[in-house]
Amino acid sequence: MSITMPTPASDVAAFETLETEHPAPNQRAKRGYRTLIWVFLAPTFIGLGLFTFIPILASMVLAFFRWDIITAPQFVGFQNFAQLFVNPTVGISFLNTIGFVIVAVVVQLAISLALAILVQSRMPDWARTFFRSALFFPLILSAASVSLVMSYLFNQEFGVINQFLGLFGIPKIGWLTTGLGAKIVVLLVYVWQNFGFTFLLFIGGLAAIPKEVYEASSIDGATGWRQFRFITMPLISPTTLVASVMAIISALQIFDQPYVMTKGGPGDETRTAVMVIYDSAFQQLEFGLASAIGIVLTLLIMLVTAIQFRLSRRYVFYG
Amino acid sequence: MVNLSRRALIGAIGLGIVGTAISWPRLTGADIPGRGQDALTIALFGTAQDAAARQDLVDAFQKLHPGINVRIVAIQGQDWGTYFAKILTMVAAGTPPDVVSVATEGTQLFASRLAYPLDEFVHRDADVMQEFFDDVHPSLVEAFMYKGNLYQLPEAFNAANVFYNTASLERSGFGRPEDNWSLDDFFAVARAMQKNSEGPFLPYFWNNRLWGGVVPWLYINQTSFLTEEKARGGDWLWNRFYPNEPPRGGGFLWENADALNEQCVESFGVLQQMVGEGLAANPAQGGGNELVALFSTGAVGSTPAGGYWVQGLSESGVANDEYDVTYFPKMRGQRHQFGTAGYAIMQTSARKDEAWEWLKFCASKDGMRLGHSKPDSSLARKSLNDELYGAGVGPQHWEVFYDTLIKFPDTAPIPAPPQQAAVEQALLKNVVPTITNGPSGVRAGLQVMQRDLELALRRN
Repeated sequence: MSITMPTPASDVAAFETLETEHPAPNQRAKRGYRTLIWVFLAPTFIGLGLFTFIPILASMVLAFFRWDIITAPQFVGFQNFAQLFVNPTVGISFLNTIGFVIVAVVVQLAISLALAILVQSRMPDWARTFFRSALFFPLILSAASVSLVMSYLFNQEFGVINQFLGLFGIPKIGWLTTGLGAKIVVLLVYVWQNFGFTFLLFIGGLAAIPKEVYEASSIDGATGWRQFRFITMPLISPTTLVASVMAIISALQIFDQPYVMTKGGPGDETRTAVMVIYDSAFQQLEFGLASAIGIVLTLLIMLVTAIQFRLSRRYVFYG
Repeated sequence: MVNLSRRALIGAIGLGIVGTAISWPRLTGADIPGRGQDALTIALFGTAQDAAARQDLVDAFQKLHPGINVRIVAIQGQDWGTYFAKILTMVAAGTPPDVVSVATEGTQLFASRLAYPLDEFVHRDADVMQEFFDDVHPSLVEAFMYKGNLYQLPEAFNAANVFYNTASLERSGFGRPEDNWSLDDFFAVARAMQKNSEGPFLPYFWNNRLWGGVVPWLYINQTSFLTEEKARGGDWLWNRFYPNEPPRGGGFLWENADALNEQCVESFGVLQQMVGEGLAANPAQGGGNELVALFSTGAVGSTPAGGYWVQGLSESGVANDEYDVTYFPKMRGQRHQFGTAGYAIMQTSARKDEAWEWLKFCASKDGMRLGHSKPDSSLARKSLNDELYGAGVGPQHWEVFYDTLIKFPDTAPIPAPPQQAAVEQALLKNVVPTITNGPSGVRAGLQVMQRDLELALRRN
């Protein structure tokens, strides 16, 4: 089934077709309709222009300047971009971000899909409704508040997690004070809070698979893993593509969790690209450098998304 | 299908224009109370409640200066760095305040770019100011000198002292430490506290931050992670207002990274040992209200804090005799660390004379009393601390707060050059790896810190 979203262009075409079918030449009405379209679109265009396109443009220009807010911007050419290679923190933050994205997206997709399959399997409707809501719930919580609570739970000396593990004789773990521990906690908190949306996407994707396909495959002797491998996976591949694109874009922008829980530490172990952008701009007043990092991050997101869509030609099955 | 007549279109556009006109004050923020008023604008770090709490101060000031309207703008932020960034955004937006409350963390940033020197005003009102300087320790004034000029009048300060839980100390079998106790004494007390504790307990809890973090342990070893020099100049102030004190120069200069000096390595080694032995918390966690809870329930034996904590502990229901305060122990010396705050006049202000009147009033006894009616910081005027802490709220040895300055005259502000944000980040991010990777990790960690500090100080 395909859904065609109405667009201004298609509406005008429909209008013109209508006019052809009913040749009542009403040029004024036609012009009026066209004007009305633009009147309704104007707020969106103005909003996008003022708050999206102009800032993007300004940011691109700013990347070639040194500007600390107080003094006049000073043109520095590609110096801010060169900084990205000189400043070790920037390089580490990008490596951290990429590593985080790889692990977080895989874990997030796997957990979401597994839970979606469980919820879509045979269970009472009330239970299905309950789990759908419960699993989506973390997404609507404030990331900063969740991170704050988690940092208390994972506190090395007095946190509930270590107190609980201590009951089994497990010594205190430096969850937020060691590199590996901090990475694991940031990952866990991020995935826990974000898998809800992916989970809903998979629920929708799974629900759209006709039951007849499974019934037919059962008659042919396919069950369990084979059904999942040869029916479920191909038929939800468009959903998987969308879910993975959105998960990757979101993970590349991770900020709240490491900022609140670890401040990027210990050392630079959990420092991410967006944290460096924030620090450069709002702590160190290097808006040019922050813009340059932002542009590189944007290019990275575009590149990854393009690769995904390129690969989707081979791996995504549109039926 | 909708047929839109010209009349309807014009009507729709007209409605849009009327709607925009009606909502214009909201769109432009002109309806924000006080905006656009002819008033002296004062920015302070805090909430709307903090601004409201200063209403008595504003009223008293306006009674004295009926011609000057005052508008307090409270700016919230996670820390001083965020607050400064917001002030700078106001500057960039063309709506800078006239007066800004600035702490040590931002003194040199503001002095180097935004603040207006107070020298001419201090000269002009020298007689009035003499009474102020007579009551204020020169270390606090020196902290607001930059390259020979004075930029702020200290209003409140907090020296980093050691707060200890009296029950924990009692259990350890030790009495109150001597004022000049040594590092060995500190370790002995901490080990005894640990040995005699019940349940989860840490003898020393500290946070990874600029104030009260690693710096006190560097200062008591007569070192720092930055080189420390004094700028030339400043004699105009010292000779006129502190004639019996040796001149202190034109303010501190922290211009080079120095994290690899042997005393610095030694101090970090001490911290590594404390954390390694389980006597101190890993500083990468906790703080704020959590620390208040831990301290008040006896889960923490001691922690660095200043006069500001008295109010916090009181509000948490901690009785005066449940804790006390003492000095940091001695290593090569016993120099302490403090942070101070006061108002600065912006270069861009067209109301500098009025702004100076505000500064002068806040520095007066009446102004300081009204500005700090609760013990949420030690006051720059020595005489007022007796009223503040001697009124029954605070630990038994509250005199320690101000006596830190008197007893250890080399006590100095936290090192905060104009590149403070970058320097602070370079310090904080390297403290934890430096002290948590065993004795051999100390020097390696400091090497990375040195590199990061050099990069930070290269910024303009």
